[in-house]
Amino acid sequence: MEPQLPKWNNRATLVDLLDRVLDKGLFLRADLVISVAGIPLIGVTLSVAVAGMETMLKYGILSDWDKEIRALPRKELQRLYQRQPAEEATAA
Amino acid sequence: MTTYQPDAATDKAALYIYCVARAKSDRVLGPIGLEDKPVYTVIAGDICAIVHDCQAEPYQSDVPEIAQDWVLAHQRVVCAAEEVFGTILPMAFNMIVHGDAKDDAVSNLQTWLTEKQDKFTRLLDKLTGKGEYGIQIFWDRQLVAEALVQRDPELREMRDEALKKPKGLAYMLQQKLTKATREAVETKANLYVEDFYTRIRQCVDEIRVEKLKKTDDGEQMLLNLSCLMEKGSSALGNVLKEIQETEGISVRFTGPWPPYSFVNTG
Repeated sequence: MEPQLPKWNNRATLVDLLDRVLDKGLFLRADLVISVAGIPLIGVTLSVAVAGMETMLKYGILSDWDKEIRALPRKELQRLYQRQPAEEATAA
Repeated sequence: MTTYQPDAATDKAALYIYCVARAKSDRVLGPIGLEDKPVYTVIAGDICAIVHDCQAEPYQSDVPEIAQDWVLAHQRVVCAAEEVFGTILPMAFNMIVHGDAKDDAVSNLQTWLTEKQDKFTRLLDKLTGKGEYGIQIFWDRQLVAEALVQRDPELREMRDEALKKPKGLAYMLQQKLTKATREAVETKANLYVEDFYTRIRQCVDEIRVEKLKKTDDGEQMLLNLSCLMEKGSSALGNVLKEIQETEGISVRFTGPWPPYSFVNTG
């Protein structure tokens, strides 16, 4: 159910996603989580990659990944829902 | 950091958690996880976590493309879970629950979910039917500065005077004009920020001010917001359309996002 989005709704970029997925979202209790001295290695790696790509990303050259990301679950889920219930129960 | 080092680097020693949702029966979401791992649910009471089995170590890579694929996979699963469960609480990237000497990863996860059951249930209720939207407002600082000089009698006079005077004096006047213009631009920026923020805030349920980011195309970011809003609402779109029509202003709008920015409050 999409709202009435303005025409100039820009495609989300990897930068937008990284801002969310690396710094936000739920965090686990410290004693439960596997970490490496709290150093965000993935964050550093991706920031390096992203710094170089930011100009490209801002102008939407990689603009379709968001659409692809959202489309993929639907395809997978359609495939899943065509399975028999018995299959689903044993698949895990 | 954990002091217990699981000695079995098995593929099932730990659980990578994508998000939390209201529990239905056990669900399988298919091989859509990081490294195409099969994604499924672990239930505790009324809530569940969407997970895949992994080794007891975080996902790390020196190769940006690999790290990028993992992040995209994380988002892919979170979006799929939204399709299945309606409302979810997304985890940050790389949240991995380990087992220990007493309990395996599943038990530890279930313990955590049980602890958080009330809090997560309240959050899920709060977020039902809503989405996160990112709003970034930019301006063409140069354009705004020129318009300000043009319209302000004092500034315009300073500029005209500087053009008439001989070199040395002109330079001093130009300096004075630059300083005065900069102050006028700053004042204008503050007015815009306050005005836009107020108008946007009235259309959304919750709002967070985010850090400004550098751009390299001559535009300057004035405002960076994350907003929580009913998915069917059109009020925000209307306000953003008006703001976009302001001279020198451009708006960038993304969403709906899974509510990453709104799961750590309260």
